[in-house]
Amino acid sequence: MIGVKHLEKKLGDFTLEGINLSVKEGEYFCILGPTGSGKTILLETIAGIYNPDAGSIIINGDEVSSLLPKDRKISMVYQDFMLFPNMNVRKNIAFGLNYNSFQGLEKAIIAEKVKETAELLGIYHLLERDPSTLSGGEKQRTAIARAIITEPKLLLLDEPLSALDTGTKGRLRQELLRIHKLKKTTTIHVTHSFEEAFTLADRIAIMHGGKIHQIGSPDEVFRKPNSRFVADFVGVENLFHGKAVVKDDLAEIYVNGLKIISSILRSGDVSVSIRPEDILISKNPIYSSATNAFTGTLTEISRMRSTVKLVIDAGIPFRVVLTKRAYDDMELSIGADVYLTFKASATHII
Amino acid sequence: MQKIGFKQITLFLMILLTLFIFALVLEIITHTDSVSLATNVVSPEIQFAIRLSLMTSVISTLMCIFVAIPVSYSLARYNFPGKTLISTILDLPIALPPIVAGLGLLLVFGTTAAGQYLADIGLKFVFTPLGIVMAQFTVNISLMLRIMRSTFEGINPRYEHVAQTLGCTPFQAFTKTTLPLAKNGILAGSVITWSRGMGEFGAVLMLAGATRMKTETLPIALYLNMSSGELDLAIAAATILILISGVTLYLFERKGGIAKLY
Repeated sequence: MIGVKHLEKKLGDFTLEGINLSVKEGEYFCILGPTGSGKTILLETIAGIYNPDAGSIIINGDEVSSLLPKDRKISMVYQDFMLFPNMNVRKNIAFGLNYNSFQGLEKAIIAEKVKETAELLGIYHLLERDPSTLSGGEKQRTAIARAIITEPKLLLLDEPLSALDTGTKGRLRQELLRIHKLKKTTTIHVTHSFEEAFTLADRIAIMHGGKIHQIGSPDEVFRKPNSRFVADFVGVENLFHGKAVVKDDLAEIYVNGLKIISSILRSGDVSVSIRPEDILISKNPIYSSATNAFTGTLTEISRMRSTVKLVIDAGIPFRVVLTKRAYDDMELSIGADVYLTFKASATHII
Repeated sequence: MQKIGFKQITLFLMILLTLFIFALVLEIITHTDSVSLATNVVSPEIQFAIRLSLMTSVISTLMCIFVAIPVSYSLARYNFPGKTLISTILDLPIALPPIVAGLGLLLVFGTTAAGQYLADIGLKFVFTPLGIVMAQFTVNISLMLRIMRSTFEGINPRYEHVAQTLGCTPFQAFTKTTLPLAKNGILAGSVITWSRGMGEFGAVLMLAGATRMKTETLPIALYLNMSSGELDLAIAAATILILISGVTLYLFERKGGIAKLY
């Protein structure tokens, strides 16, 4: 178990204030927060790069806050890979096998471990390459291999997917999930992407301004945000659970009797979300192919500074955002019947 | 006819300056014929000066490296109160005329109790070859610090963080990651420091004096022989110093200066 108690740290403009966390053995724990919320410093303080000003850090029952990073049985992966440019992929991965309890490990065993880990990450063919010749995804696979080869008690991931393009991001996310299922290493993963946290985490902590605002399962945090900040930050509105069936090149998702068409081909039990700003509302129907069109009743209007948020009940409640101008032009009032349209490609399936 | 405009004026000045510098160098190396130049270069006095200059400059460069690496590392990596003040003081020798630094050295080593103590335990700096090393070190350390500091600042500290989490002590992490990555900066700094050490005159003159065949480095040999009217020996010393500048420039161009860092 990993415990962080009343942790305080001031570093330049950043401060950590009274951080309390407890991560269970084998848990995948995400710290979710916007840029500048102090997530990386929290991770680096747990790693021992910085000494806390106050509080304690406990890894597997041992108080480690006075130990050097090397004695904490942890590994760290950064957003920007941090592969040692003066070593090839093989030497990068094997780096940790030269120290601590691995010191004096036989060459054959090192080679075997490197092979095993590289195969797990699908980078065995890259072992002799120079890190500068790798793609972003390959670099991060190498960094992950380097981190897990020492079998740490705690794996610290600092925005590990943020520097990757969308396709690679998705693939590597699946890899992280697969490796975690296999190794069951307790993991703390820091990210600003709700989607990432939602798909990977057993539990999420929401962090902002150097403080933890809420801790819970992704579902809890999403459904019952305990503060305005969490609600706004999590901000995934229009999330519905349903059953999906793939037909031709589209998926049909049945949510409470409503059929939502999605361009993401997934079947079975899914959660689908549609961004409020991607939904078009009109007084007359708009038809086109690959489009979702529903009728509903306007049940709620809330005016924000420059936008207006509407809730339209179409069997399920859709939240829609309009600019003030568009709202005024439409002359809407509570109880009005309106048409909702959104593209199949505007749906997200989690 | 083409109009003489701004472009032509700047180009003309550029050519004029190039010719001027080229003439300086050419005038020195063509002043004597090659036979007498060779004879003078192999003369015992110039041979002594070459050896002394090489030895002292190599030692002072090594001292600069060993001192500059930890000191510039702490300046690059840590924040502490008074950092700006300390950094300014450490930069001072760059702006200070070497002869003033030399005067300071002479007073510190020649008149203070600490200087006396060092002399008692055998570290005599005043009017000795050891003084040459100390003078070169003092004048050059600031530049070495600056080069090393910007080198370390250009290397992401996260390399060391990762190495530490993988089992390195902070020192091992430094030697396994940042130090090898700083290779080009160290090399560039060493070449500059060495070449400046070879040519250092003012501070050496003040602390080590100008004693023939004792504290006679190449610049001192040039100065002593000019004073006594031995122009050919002075030119031999100058020619070697020009050669060293040439080699330094060449090494710099080849290594791409200090620009090529990770």
